[in-house]
Amino acid sequence: MMTLKNSKLVVLALLALFLTPLLAQAEGLIAGQKFKGDKEIVVTFADPVDKAVVENVANYTIYEEPDPDIRLVLETATLSEDGKVASLFFKDALNTAMTHVVNVKGLAGIESTTFKVSKSYLGYLFGIMISALLINNFVFTKYLGLCVFFGTSKKKSTAKGMGVVFTIVMVVSAIMSWFFYNFILIPYNLNFLQIVIFIGLVSLTVQAVDTVLRKVNPVLFNSFGVFLVLVIANCVIIAVPLIVANNNYNIFETFMLALGAGGGFLLALYLMSSVSERMQLANIPPTFKGLPIAFIVAGQFAMAFLGFSGLQIF
Amino acid sequence: MKDIITIIVRLTVSCLLAATVMGLCFVFTSNAKKHNEHVKEQKVMFELLGYKGDVKAPESVKMHELYRYVISGNDRQSIGYLLPQGEGEHGGYLFVNIDLNGSMIENKKVDITEAEALEAESRDKAVQATVGSGYSVAFADQTIVVTDNGARIAYLLDGKFQGFKTFVSVMLAVDPSFAMVGLEILEHEEDPGLGAEIEQDYFKNQFKGKPFEAMKAIDVVKAPIPADYLNALNGKVSEEDVLAFREQYKSKDIYALTGATISTRAVCNGVKGIVTKFAYRINVLDKVLQEQQLAVSF
Amino acid sequence: MANDKSSMQLISRGILSENPIFKLALSMCPAVGISTTVMNGLMLGIAVLFVQVFSSVTISIFKNLIHPRIRIPTYTLTIATWVTVIDLVLAAYMPEAYAKMGIFVKLIVAFAIITMRLEMFACKESVNDSFWDGLGMGLGFMIGMMVIGFVRELLGSGMIFGYDVLGFKPLLFFILPSAGFFVVGLMMAFFNWIEIFYKRTKGLK
Repeated sequence: MMTLKNSKLVVLALLALFLTPLLAQAEGLIAGQKFKGDKEIVVTFADPVDKAVVENVANYTIYEEPDPDIRLVLETATLSEDGKVASLFFKDALNTAMTHVVNVKGLAGIESTTFKVSKSYLGYLFGIMISALLINNFVFTKYLGLCVFFGTSKKKSTAKGMGVVFTIVMVVSAIMSWFFYNFILIPYNLNFLQIVIFIGLVSLTVQAVDTVLRKVNPVLFNSFGVFLVLVIANCVIIAVPLIVANNNYNIFETFMLALGAGGGFLLALYLMSSVSERMQLANIPPTFKGLPIAFIVAGQFAMAFLGFSGLQIF
Repeated sequence: MKDIITIIVRLTVSCLLAATVMGLCFVFTSNAKKHNEHVKEQKVMFELLGYKGDVKAPESVKMHELYRYVISGNDRQSIGYLLPQGEGEHGGYLFVNIDLNGSMIENKKVDITEAEALEAESRDKAVQATVGSGYSVAFADQTIVVTDNGARIAYLLDGKFQGFKTFVSVMLAVDPSFAMVGLEILEHEEDPGLGAEIEQDYFKNQFKGKPFEAMKAIDVVKAPIPADYLNALNGKVSEEDVLAFREQYKSKDIYALTGATISTRAVCNGVKGIVTKFAYRINVLDKVLQEQQLAVSF
Repeated sequence: MANDKSSMQLISRGILSENPIFKLALSMCPAVGISTTVMNGLMLGIAVLFVQVFSSVTISIFKNLIHPRIRIPTYTLTIATWVTVIDLVLAAYMPEAYAKMGIFVKLIVAFAIITMRLEMFACKESVNDSFWDGLGMGLGFMIGMMVIGFVRELLGSGMIFGYDVLGFKPLLFFILPSAGFFVVGLMMAFFNWIEIFYKRTKGLK
């Protein structure tokens, strides 16, 4: 039951996250703001505004949120025909990863209007997931979980079952580890107990998933249960909480990372098993039979995954 | 039932034993860790300033740490600096609060020792007490001003920025006119053979000697490094030739590492950001200190 | 199982006939991930050796007190404790080497090879034998890591232990991250080939 409750909570929280910016933007003058390219900010107003005010560069104070004393140089500001869309052009390229604070004086008769421009948080979270899934795939670019990877990627059905079980255990244990890390280890200065606590939580999760699955869905348990034993002693599972602790991720980031890591593992297993099934029919030199050829294939996948590096969607 | 009790007792005992081992180990290593980190940091700093190997820093060279805080309240935001006022134990610190336009709001003496200022927790507490309730303080960064016989010879800045994979953390030295003196990569997780080359001398040395004007507009060129320049960067030619090359290339852009243009660009932009922001801030701070006739140790 | 074997036999078994990397194919993650230099291999090898020997000895000392139903949790706890110890020590006294190995030191806790030796050997045999067995397995891992590191460092960057020995870089590809798979795969094939060749010549005689 833990699993279901936890995932429901997370979904709710994500939904709330989705809605808050919309609610906040609905009221007031500013209808929307975003980066366009790396030298431009586009602001959309709810009602037409005064052209003279918007186009006067002196009315603006713009800075990156952590550096309020360093003002960015605004070159020109233009307003569209209908008076609703303003484009702010900057002299130097903006660091779009940062939240920018824009303050305008005298807009629509109000003394000063302040709003923040940042990349969509959801996009950023999605970026973490894509990164763990493809760019920093745990198997092909981080080289984790190889024992299980080579052990269970002989058949497609096994690969799928293994990947799903891994993803579930990873998400649940990562979220539990996050709570432990932030509310027990950090406040009491017990950071050195990381390893023991995380491996304990992973074992606990495996045990819990085992029990829950056995009671709730015996059919599923019969097909997936055998993989659970393999999960405990696996570095890919314990790596997620360690990475989370290293990077000080928050709960949403943790969730997305775990999801991406699990998905990436599933993807890797599935790809590898597809090749393995074909390889059984191939005529492989005796010296390469078994593991050596599997390693060479994995190496080729790793090279292919190198192509994802630098991929940026948001 | 008896089984369960024995299991519980044995597990508890083994947990206690494990906890004792780990706890003892933590107690013994934590001080050594802090000490070694401090020693390493000192070594990096002196190497950046050119005191490496047999060349020891003279006694007259001193380091002064400034801590910068961002102070936010309901009505305003401002920048606070914690500045050392004297040498060693007895000197005390001065807290200067500067608003966003560069004029001083207030200055106060802060009663903490040097050891307390080095420790983040006690320093934050002291700054919070100085600022008073109603404002929250957030530590932003620290800078080291290096003086020789009282005259400034360099600034040591550290920073962290997004690299190709994860964060890259650097320390760099600039002279009083903000020209680059040296760059050191402290931590990174770039790919070995590609982005990890940023920690090689031939890459880091490209930054050496670049004047502030060049740093403000520094960019990356995607071309192989000319062979003779590469030799100079690797230190394979005489001292004068190195200087000649540095002069020749001083306003040129940084050559991108093979297969790691994004890492190169990240380092360039990161360093550029650190230097330009620092140059702006130290000018503001110096102006305030001069106008208000405040005495500090650097 | 191995009561009749001498300490030398126990060690050589770990290094040769049951080499954890090339023969048992366990704990492959670091063998692929951070084997770019001999030094990395040596450092991680030492860490694994330490954890393996201390865990084996600990388990073998307390083997009569461990309740069979909580065997695996006890092993995990023991390994995790020693990993924490080596992690703290390395972080404190060898920060540079530690930074290079990154997350892999902490991940020793999930190495199948260590748990396997505890389950198959240390919980049955005497303290003395367990020590030698652990030493053999640890050395086998260390040597395996160093061999891979040697090949990758020599061919990838023309260096050994950070010293330039070739003066040029024959195959930059070998030091790139994804090459780890190829190097390990090719080396396994090479050992297979030797074995097959050896058997064939023997058969001919």
